[in-house]
Amino acid sequence: MTTLDRRAVLGLGGTLAAGVLLAPGVSLLAAPGERTEASASRRWAMLIDINRCTPDCSACLTACRKENNVPLFGEPDRDIHWIRKVELRDKDQRRPTVSLPVLCNHCEHPPCVHVCPTGASFVRKDGIVLVDEHRCIGCRYCMIACPYKARSLVYHETRRSPESNPNVPIRSKGVVEKCTFCVHRLDNGLQPACVEACNSVGGGAMLFGDLNDPHSEIAKRVRTVTSQTIRADLGLKPRVHYQGL
Amino acid sequence: MIDEFATVEGRPGYFKLLALMGLLLLLGSAAFLYIEWHGHGSTGMTNTVVWGLPHVFAISLLVMASGSLNLGSMSTIFAVKNFKQFGRFSAFLAIALLAGGLTVLTLDLGRPDRLLLVMMHMNFRSMFTWNVFLYSGFTLLCFLYLWSMFQYPKYTKAAGAAAFGWRFILTTGTGSIFGVIHARDVFHSAITAPTFVAISLTSGTALSILLLVTTFRMTGRFLDVRLVHALRNTLIFFLLLVLYLLIVEKFTQFYSPAFYDVEQWILTGSYAWLYWGGVVLLGVIAPLLVLFNHQWGNQIGGILLAASFVIAGLFLFVAFILLAGQSYPFNMFPGYELSSVFQDGQEGSYSPTLVELLLGLGGVGVSGLLYLLGIRFFRLLPQKATAPEGWDVAWHP
Amino acid sequence: MVSYPSLFHRSFFRVLPLLMGLVLAIPQPASAGDVPQQGGSGRSSGHPAHNGPADHPPLEVPEGRECVQPAEWMRRNHMDFLKHNRDMAVREGVRVKDDSLKNCSTCHKSREKFCDRCHAYVAVAPNCFECHDYPK
Repeated sequence: MTTLDRRAVLGLGGTLAAGVLLAPGVSLLAAPGERTEASASRRWAMLIDINRCTPDCSACLTACRKENNVPLFGEPDRDIHWIRKVELRDKDQRRPTVSLPVLCNHCEHPPCVHVCPTGASFVRKDGIVLVDEHRCIGCRYCMIACPYKARSLVYHETRRSPESNPNVPIRSKGVVEKCTFCVHRLDNGLQPACVEACNSVGGGAMLFGDLNDPHSEIAKRVRTVTSQTIRADLGLKPRVHYQGL
Repeated sequence: MIDEFATVEGRPGYFKLLALMGLLLLLGSAAFLYIEWHGHGSTGMTNTVVWGLPHVFAISLLVMASGSLNLGSMSTIFAVKNFKQFGRFSAFLAIALLAGGLTVLTLDLGRPDRLLLVMMHMNFRSMFTWNVFLYSGFTLLCFLYLWSMFQYPKYTKAAGAAAFGWRFILTTGTGSIFGVIHARDVFHSAITAPTFVAISLTSGTALSILLLVTTFRMTGRFLDVRLVHALRNTLIFFLLLVLYLLIVEKFTQFYSPAFYDVEQWILTGSYAWLYWGGVVLLGVIAPLLVLFNHQWGNQIGGILLAASFVIAGLFLFVAFILLAGQSYPFNMFPGYELSSVFQDGQEGSYSPTLVELLLGLGGVGVSGLLYLLGIRFFRLLPQKATAPEGWDVAWHP
Repeated sequence: MVSYPSLFHRSFFRVLPLLMGLVLAIPQPASAGDVPQQGGSGRSSGHPAHNGPADHPPLEVPEGRECVQPAEWMRRNHMDFLKHNRDMAVREGVRVKDDSLKNCSTCHKSREKFCDRCHAYVAVAPNCFECHDYPK
């Protein structure tokens, strides 16, 4: 990723001038109040136990939509789903039908980030794959590249309603969005909304935590139980693991 | 051999064409504003098929842009002196087509107002970032090539060679937008980019034939039919190259059981008509049949017909790659059938709307307008296109 | 040797780079970063509601304590300040509660009476509020 600011593109002189202007201000920035920072030593990951996920439960979907103001336009092929339940039927009828949630896999080698021309899609220090919606130009190449269909384009204008969560922005049309692992909640020490809902209302199928912390529940479980990821053959190293697939 | 170059005169027919192209451009601009105002909800695109008709137009124009440099390269690089008289035409056409294609591509962005961001932040792993440099470099090289042909003939060889090399990288870059995507079974192949190059050779040559013959006819200029025959021969060669690449690809894919599903879908699924009818029949077989025919292959009318087939074939090839490639469902869980509210396991469906068509045609309008203005204001075409006495394109189909 | 009649007038090539330069230098659409300063340093001190050019619409006086930065500095730099914080929050995960847009609304209670009035006056259209919640 190479980044030039606009002034560098339109003329370096402006940057110099801005630097001179801003210099006195920088010292003022030194004493912030309450401050949180993503830690490079963390690797957020999710483990979903399919045996505990029942077909008729949709606690995670509802919680996600509510928390993140994910818009529904009433057009099935344009509605946005950060997380959805996928029903699997064995073609040979040997295994029972299962239903499991699929969301952005927050890959270690995310193809969406590789193809993004502006770096709007990026990997945060703690391994979360995000879209900087201020920088997205809406080219949709990431949607072409993602093998999990995790991304959606905002096809229509969205509006804030009284039920909207005021802590999360609504959407600007023409940009691409997807699951953020509820990054705004993580930074405030909370679990993602889907995980919280699954463990309170749902069947307790979702486990979320830091894979890099050997004492975390998820690190222990990933070490001890057999789990797998979707399309491991692509070599993307997803961080959403499934148990009992 | 090279008669004096001259601009075309402004006759009523010329202005009618100019008005037509201007109208296309106006309608395209209106379509752009409409999409910008109402969002991409006014197009037929969905979360499964995210690139639609505008991209088909844009990529077709970009592929033809690099192909239309053929005539110039043939004289500058391969010393076919009789094509030297078309060098200016060829380099200018390349720029005009590129401009049209890029206009559509950028205007279809979800946020075209943020285009400057592409220049402020660059991710050099993205094929799109590469293409930004490939397109601008190609425009610059074509311009230098054109300029050298006008004023500095001693640099023509250098500029022409640079543009020739660049056009291969350029079209490889365009093809690689699709070829490098592992997630999409229909795209992902090392042979996708070479196929784009081969198709750019055929369609660029075909468009040059079409434009040369019609322009010379409409302006009442003389065009030696042997020149068209020579172009026909190169077109046949390029068409065979495309056919070869298509066959090799299918051969390799069908050798491995892993690809049976997707290949069977391509050849018999819902986009099979586009593959068989568009790519294979219209794009390769029909023009070859016409050109190999003893009568049609030697007549201007037959050659024009074949050239039109080739251009339609290119358009349908791009449409097939794009639409079939996006519609084929992801196989996230091999061995299972999937279903969800998010169309998992379902084929994507796409029906373009009028605004998309108009936006795409707007790009054709830009290219057409530039071409028409080019031949009016610049001395791009010879007053008489001749070939020397005794020069015979020995082979007749 | 075939002579190549010059198509372009020579001066065309001298003017071309100049034209290209001009095209590149065409001012970008006004964005938050380019807000011109209102009034000279002599007349803008204290709250903008009290001092400002005659036709400047009155801005609502903020409730409460001091701003997170001196008001004069904020007037000049709030757009870069917010943009910088935005990029730090989104891309680096650095969230400073006091410096967030959300925190602005604890004192500047109304977007219409504070932000919008001045933005309209200086003819800039930052699009923060298209998506981010801020009290009307």
